[in-house]
Amino acid sequence: MATTTAPSRSSTEPDLQRGGERVAPSPNPLREGLRHERIPEPCTMVICGATGDLTERKLGPALYNLMLGGFLPPEFTVVGFARRELTNEQFSAHLLEGVNKYSRNKPAKASIWDSFARGIEYHRGDLDDPTAYAELGKRLDRIDRDRGTAGNRLFYLAVPPSLYPDIVQQLHDAGLAATGSARSSDAKRGWTRVIIEKPFGYDLASARTLNHAIGRVFDEDQVYRIDHYLGKETVQNLAVFRFGNGLFEPIWNRRYIDSVQITVAETVGVEGRGEFYDATGALRDIVQNHCLQLLAIFGMEPPVEVKAQDLRDEKLKVLRAVRPQTPEEVEQQVIRGQYVAGWVEGEKVHSYRDEPEVAPDSETETYVALKLSIDSWRWAGVPFYLRAGKALPSRVTEIAVQFKRAPLALFARAGVPTVDPNVLAIRVQPDEGILLRFGAKVPGQGLQIRTVNMDFRYGSSFAVDVPEAYETLLCDAMLGDPSLFTRNDEVERAWEILQPMLDAWASGDGGPLHFYGAGSWGPPAADELLERDGRVWRKP
Amino acid sequence: MAQAVSTQQRDAIEEQAVHKHLMRFGDAESLATPMWEQRGTTVSSIAAQLAMLWDPPGKLAEGGEAQVTEKGLPHARTSVLNLIVTVGHDEAADRVVRTMMGLGVRHPSRAIVLVPTQATEGDLLDARISTHCHDTPGDERERICYEEVVLTVRGEAASHLAGVVAPLLIHDLPTFVWWPGDPPLVSPIFEQLVEMGDRLIVDSSDFSDLLTGLRRLSNLRRRSGVGDLAWGRLAWWQELSAQFFDAPRFRRFLPNLSRLHIRYALAPATSDAAANDEDVAPGCAAPLVQALLYAGWIATRLGWKRARSVERLAGGRLRLLLEGRYEMVDLLIEPVETDEVKTGELTSVRLRAYGEAGAAEFIIDRSGDEATVATNADGMTAMLRRVTMDVPNEPELIAAQLTMDLVDPVYQDALRAAAILLGSAREAAA
Repeated sequence: MATTTAPSRSSTEPDLQRGGERVAPSPNPLREGLRHERIPEPCTMVICGATGDLTERKLGPALYNLMLGGFLPPEFTVVGFARRELTNEQFSAHLLEGVNKYSRNKPAKASIWDSFARGIEYHRGDLDDPTAYAELGKRLDRIDRDRGTAGNRLFYLAVPPSLYPDIVQQLHDAGLAATGSARSSDAKRGWTRVIIEKPFGYDLASARTLNHAIGRVFDEDQVYRIDHYLGKETVQNLAVFRFGNGLFEPIWNRRYIDSVQITVAETVGVEGRGEFYDATGALRDIVQNHCLQLLAIFGMEPPVEVKAQDLRDEKLKVLRAVRPQTPEEVEQQVIRGQYVAGWVEGEKVHSYRDEPEVAPDSETETYVALKLSIDSWRWAGVPFYLRAGKALPSRVTEIAVQFKRAPLALFARAGVPTVDPNVLAIRVQPDEGILLRFGAKVPGQGLQIRTVNMDFRYGSSFAVDVPEAYETLLCDAMLGDPSLFTRNDEVERAWEILQPMLDAWASGDGGPLHFYGAGSWGPPAADELLERDGRVWRKP
Repeated sequence: MAQAVSTQQRDAIEEQAVHKHLMRFGDAESLATPMWEQRGTTVSSIAAQLAMLWDPPGKLAEGGEAQVTEKGLPHARTSVLNLIVTVGHDEAADRVVRTMMGLGVRHPSRAIVLVPTQATEGDLLDARISTHCHDTPGDERERICYEEVVLTVRGEAASHLAGVVAPLLIHDLPTFVWWPGDPPLVSPIFEQLVEMGDRLIVDSSDFSDLLTGLRRLSNLRRRSGVGDLAWGRLAWWQELSAQFFDAPRFRRFLPNLSRLHIRYALAPATSDAAANDEDVAPGCAAPLVQALLYAGWIATRLGWKRARSVERLAGGRLRLLLEGRYEMVDLLIEPVETDEVKTGELTSVRLRAYGEAGAAEFIIDRSGDEATVATNADGMTAMLRRVTMDVPNEPELIAAQLTMDLVDPVYQDALRAAAILLGSAREAAA
């Protein structure tokens, strides 16, 4: 029995609150301090084009993992909308199959899946058929009543971009877009948001047309343009790394940084997407979104607040400061390449032109390397080298910062003429993490300097599972936080930067298409681009 | 003399049993470096061994040159925290090992397992260092390793554990101190280790003297955070409770709660014992604690103020009257006999409120692994649904503790309130 040691209390009615009354400021005081201080409001997510690859590989697993982690409200409902003839149960089984194949937590836990599956429905219909949307509207109203989703709707357009304008118009015509006056006059109706996937347009003109078509139906704050790179932990950590530490920001400028390399390398070829890729190419597929977004986050000024508007304003300022190239500069500073047969990771790879659905005389670039200048106070004179390509030796996405050399070759007399410059590499994938490269003396007599790495990796450092980018992004869209999504003006500015390159290539002025063997780091011309500046590409 | 020998023998047998448990490896684990073991060693020898643990094997063969490549390490490793575990007896050793193996890739960088024994025979300090590696699941396979140092400390040194451990910690990293079982909350050894750590992890369900334990925990110096596995087990209840009030139309009932009724499980076979001894049940020394912490959580989040005993604590049941914001709140905590749910776990929570449009009740009823969640408000039942109660196991609870902020003010508030509620309930009814 324990009571004998209990100290006596001064009052028989002790005050439970320390320091007087403390009522939590949070709207729901019971949420304060819980694992999830914010979870999305009850809502329905409609996946248009739900039977495609994206749903099976990414969306289904992401939603399941959100459910597993307790990030979704109990009322959450997902409606698959597509042409194929499926029942609710068949669609649910299709999602489950995807989870068991692709989820980072697999197989699905039966108990969690059962709860989740109660909120899975399938709506069969043609995406260009107005009656399908009218029926969808009725179904969503019924779900609101049955499951308490309160009129909150998230439409995910998992379809080819050419269908976006038509689908948003159909949503509007069926009264499902809830924009402008409809939003304010009918407050009880809840929110409506739409997520669209890249590519956002094919060039500047088509991007403007697309933005205009979407903007006619939805207000900009309803539109969530997904670039899944922005959902990756390392990309989010970049802001923390720069602005949360006192060490790096003071040297994050032209005085200390010599140059920056942004690499998005893939080992795979076109993998059955020949038709899409041959009409797209590396510049549109990777540089327009991933590379330029990484560049913007890397180079931006500290935002006033870590909020969506401030962050996106700062990113836009970087993109606006990127100097568009003249046709002559395109020829000198933009190298395009296409892979020919070779070996990647021990496997034989056919020439790009031999891929299915690729034109035998295709001029599409599978590799691009380019040099950009940012005309801002911080970055004036610092070259940014970007490269993206397929059938390269390793799969890696990274930003490598090369710092200026020490001002004096102090060890030259001891037989060490130069010490390699310091490099800070921010790896986005795989092995998300940060690496710092510096010179160190080899122990022993005499002076020998070797370059060594300090290596930080996310996966092994924190005792937590790293969420997939789609989990982060879907949850943010439901919470109404667009910080990690791309705004229309960012998209258009990115196209403005690339348009001179597209124009030069189209008119034949942009320099030749170079060829490189699959499994090499791109054409020699790309190496020459850096060699002219006295630099070399990193081999990550 | 004969008595002394048999005590020593008993100590030796106990020690062997502890080590037998601590020697186990999980199926998914592998040794990365040869196990190092030394009896009668010194702290400095152990520290030296730890320092060279990950030297590449080819180092000497290459003439002393550093073998550093982009991915030149034998495995991925960035140090993030130290964990000190104190193992008093055989049962705790088993629990610790099972938990540590369950942590897998979520394991801290360096774990120091202390086995203090009162035995005066034998060397003062024995040490064993092992490295445990796991391959991460998924396509991007990565090998993640951690170090485990098991220290057996005998005689006088066992009273000065902090001095033994301090040199072996990875510098400048947060240090977690996990004391499984019923820690000696008022002993100097406990004090020393808590002082050394940044966060103490205990399971208040194991406290043999709950009131003293809760008061002691709530009065630990402010710098050090406290993690409580009993609190971790409440996470689902808290989440489900909070979900009621995420909807604005129900949130307006929060200030007007007038009744909180909590039931918790007691195994049927122990109900007689519980009636006689309010705090003791096999396998769960303090079955009341989760209910108390839950009540303390609601009370502090909602700004309830004073507690007055209505029914003195007896048979694990208590009733208190609290001062809510606008209403007096009737708090009733009582046990229910069941073997469907582990002793001490909650089985139901009912929150009742009066609003402008009448009474509302918010109900979570658990049965086995499922719970029914319902709201009766404005004269109709809404949101009647069944959910799976995902009760975390001990490795999951510990893993969650290791990733939390060092200090959890919401828990600290609830802990303090729980101690006050229990103290009040032990007094005679007013």
